[in-house]
Amino acid sequence: MNLLKYRIKTFFKYQDLVRELVQRDLKLKYRRSFLGYLWSVLNPLLIMIVLTVVFSNLFNKSIKNFPVYLFTGRMLYDFLKASTTNAMKSVTGNAALLKKVYIPKYIFTFAKVTSCMVDMVLSMGALLIVMVVTRAPFYWQFLLCPVVILQLYIFCCGLGFLLAELTVFFRDMQYIYNAVLTAWLYLTPIMYPLDALKDVKPLVILIKGFNPLYYYVAQFRDLIYYGRLPGPRVFFGGWIIAFVMLGIGVCCFQKAKDKFILYI
Amino acid sequence: MNDYVIDVDRVSIRFNLASEKVDNLKEYAIKLMKHELMFQEFLALQDVSLKVKKGESWGLIGTNGSGKSTLLKTISGILQPYKGTVTTKGTIAPLIELGAGFDGNLTGRENIYLNGMVLGHSRKFMDEHFDEIVQFANLKKFLDSPIKNFSSGMKARLGFSVATVVNPDILIVDEVLEVGDYNFRRRCQERMQQMLAGGTTLLFVSHNIQTVKNLCDNAIWLDKGVVRMAGPSELVCNAYKEEQDRIAKEKKEEKRRKLREAKKPYDYLIVGAGLYGAVFASEMTKKGKRCLVIDKRDHIGGNVYTKDVDGIQVHQYGAHIFHTSDKQVWNYVNKLTEFNNYINSPVAVYKDELYNLPFNMNTFSRLWNLRTPKEVQAKIQEQIADLHITEPQNLEEQALSLVGTDVYEKLIKGYTEKQWGRDCRELPAFIIRRLPLRFTYNNNYFNDRYQGIPVGGYTQMVEKLLDNIDVMLETDFFTYRKEHPEMFKKVVYTGMIDEYFDYCYGHLEYRTVRFETERLEEENHQGNAVVNYTEREVPYTRVIEHKHFAPEEEREHPKDFTIISREYSTEWKPGIEPYYPVNDEKNSALYEQYAELAKKEKDVIFGGRLGQYKYYDMDKVIRAALDAVNEAGRK
Repeated sequence: MNLLKYRIKTFFKYQDLVRELVQRDLKLKYRRSFLGYLWSVLNPLLIMIVLTVVFSNLFNKSIKNFPVYLFTGRMLYDFLKASTTNAMKSVTGNAALLKKVYIPKYIFTFAKVTSCMVDMVLSMGALLIVMVVTRAPFYWQFLLCPVVILQLYIFCCGLGFLLAELTVFFRDMQYIYNAVLTAWLYLTPIMYPLDALKDVKPLVILIKGFNPLYYYVAQFRDLIYYGRLPGPRVFFGGWIIAFVMLGIGVCCFQKAKDKFILYI
Repeated sequence: MNDYVIDVDRVSIRFNLASEKVDNLKEYAIKLMKHELMFQEFLALQDVSLKVKKGESWGLIGTNGSGKSTLLKTISGILQPYKGTVTTKGTIAPLIELGAGFDGNLTGRENIYLNGMVLGHSRKFMDEHFDEIVQFANLKKFLDSPIKNFSSGMKARLGFSVATVVNPDILIVDEVLEVGDYNFRRRCQERMQQMLAGGTTLLFVSHNIQTVKNLCDNAIWLDKGVVRMAGPSELVCNAYKEEQDRIAKEKKEEKRRKLREAKKPYDYLIVGAGLYGAVFASEMTKKGKRCLVIDKRDHIGGNVYTKDVDGIQVHQYGAHIFHTSDKQVWNYVNKLTEFNNYINSPVAVYKDELYNLPFNMNTFSRLWNLRTPKEVQAKIQEQIADLHITEPQNLEEQALSLVGTDVYEKLIKGYTEKQWGRDCRELPAFIIRRLPLRFTYNNNYFNDRYQGIPVGGYTQMVEKLLDNIDVMLETDFFTYRKEHPEMFKKVVYTGMIDEYFDYCYGHLEYRTVRFETERLEEENHQGNAVVNYTEREVPYTRVIEHKHFAPEEEREHPKDFTIISREYSTEWKPGIEPYYPVNDEKNSALYEQYAELAKKEKDVIFGGRLGQYKYYDMDKVIRAALDAVNEAGRK
């Protein structure tokens, strides 16, 4: 109990550092670029346009307002991808510092995921623009989307810790994970409707049961695209998966953190 | 409960030294299947214990890779001990690398915040202390430019300012102060001193032993991860330095031994291990030349040799008092050894009267019971005038015309006659050109700016010069040259120049002295280092009591015995120890002839008192040797 109290205390002691690190990431990302923060909005928007032009013809019949459908999925996937790949390198990348000053190592991982999350929230602007342009209806459920973002955020933190730890010991994790990410992108109904796979039953079960991202994308679409409350399965499933992932990540990280210094 | 702020208890740190570091999954899997996964363990620290109380300052010393930084990192929590425990109390400010965690792309201002938070400060705290940090770092102008444009010194300054903005309970400093300019280093030291005074505990790593001694009360010496010694810094630092010197010396000796065994010829064969030879050899060695020093005596040092007799440094070849006005030479000898503050003020005994030397107001007031310089000058003038000497024909008349009757009769006559073994009236006038009279109450024999005697004697000073140089004692040059003509390229000859040329023009003459040294079982024989006996009837010219040359040694280790040397002037004949060249016309002319021959010896440098037939004070001979080295370098 004391240990937990101590951990929480150190976390609060370093909360300003987390904020500073997040600010640094964002600042450095946009410093000296002409459009500044607008990039957070423009970037996904441009990709969106390209993808829409290509894919809307492909699934024309089954999906109305394809841009919003695609955007709601793509946004979460981008966040997952950016946050976890950044988190992976968070410990090894700060080796110089970690060798010289004592800082709880998870701070860096945590800060990376957080700054990606902030980045994603900023890109919500793009979503709004897309919705306005395509004259998509706004539902009151839209206001609940922070709940989904929080779930995914917790999930990404957990996954980030795990990946960061593995990367310390195995540098080639990033290549392996890149392959995983690509597979993940296509195994999630982002650019296509899940119905399109209805002939391949096992794949649908696989996605619905074992793809965590599906739970978040499904909830997110329910709130924004369909304007309805998510079903209990995806809702509670989303929470449970998030905390299980966080648990696994934290446990692995804590167990190995004292050995990090010898490998970075 | 104990009151230690840092308690390192039998800590070991383990690293994996496996030759190939497996850091990717692919290799890991392959090695795992081949059963080749190895763990080669290396203990960076072994069973290290260190207990530090509040307010103490500890220096960590040791060679590279001895585990100093590892220990600091363990204490600051960066490394976790493999065995043992580390407990610390209070806040730690680690200055392990200044500016670690600076982001080159951020500005100075942003980095101050970031760095401060890396060290665990809150934003509010940084807001409050921001101005203070900027002021100490003195970087106000550059606050808004990216830190990648900063110089390393500027970064260090900023890092130090951020790290020391709090008064931490424990300050850990790892060789960070070696960078930065003098001014910054001074300010850093001041800041650290302030903190120490304020009760901060300091752990300090430096290769500069002097800094450790200045800054730390205690020191711990690590050697290959093991504590060699811990305790008062003076003690530990000295022990460490001794060992380092010993290792360095051994290495050099090993190298010299190998070259010796390979029979590689020396660049210089230096004949005579006196001051001239030793300085020449030392300087040439510094320039990368190989030197061999030979001496026919069984000791080094030539005439400055001092022999340690139960703690008293006996000046075997007469009193040697180092005095000079040559600042460079004074610095040179002081780098070799420490000098005491001995000031030569001999006294003269005439019958039962005692006078201060050199002739000064103390002497005169004793003679005539006069007090002011004016009275004394009048007295002397009066005595000189009474004699009516216009053209002095001999030494007596010369001296009388310079100082008058009383001083001459009591203090010059007998002494000079003993020195030359002849009556003053038979001695030529030119021996005394002038007799300095001093009209102040000052008994300092010399007029030079610097004066003293090496603490511990001259021998160890010469030893220091000959450190790392091959020396062969009891070796005669002429025999050596015959037996090993191929072992050297050039010669520095500091022996008698006439002997070198086999006395082809005849013998040069010397004035020589003889010493009768005696140990007396009394604490203090004459109360002064040098007492001159000016009476003709006393057979010796002076008595030297050696312990008074080293008043500091006597203060620290009083001895209940003493050693005195009675000095006799002796007629010189070939074969006995030569001391002073006689620079009369006859001998000077003879020397000139030899000097002509010497010029033709291209590969021989003639140096020193005997090699140049010239009276040299110690400082002058060192200067001459240094000049000769430069001269040889130019050729």
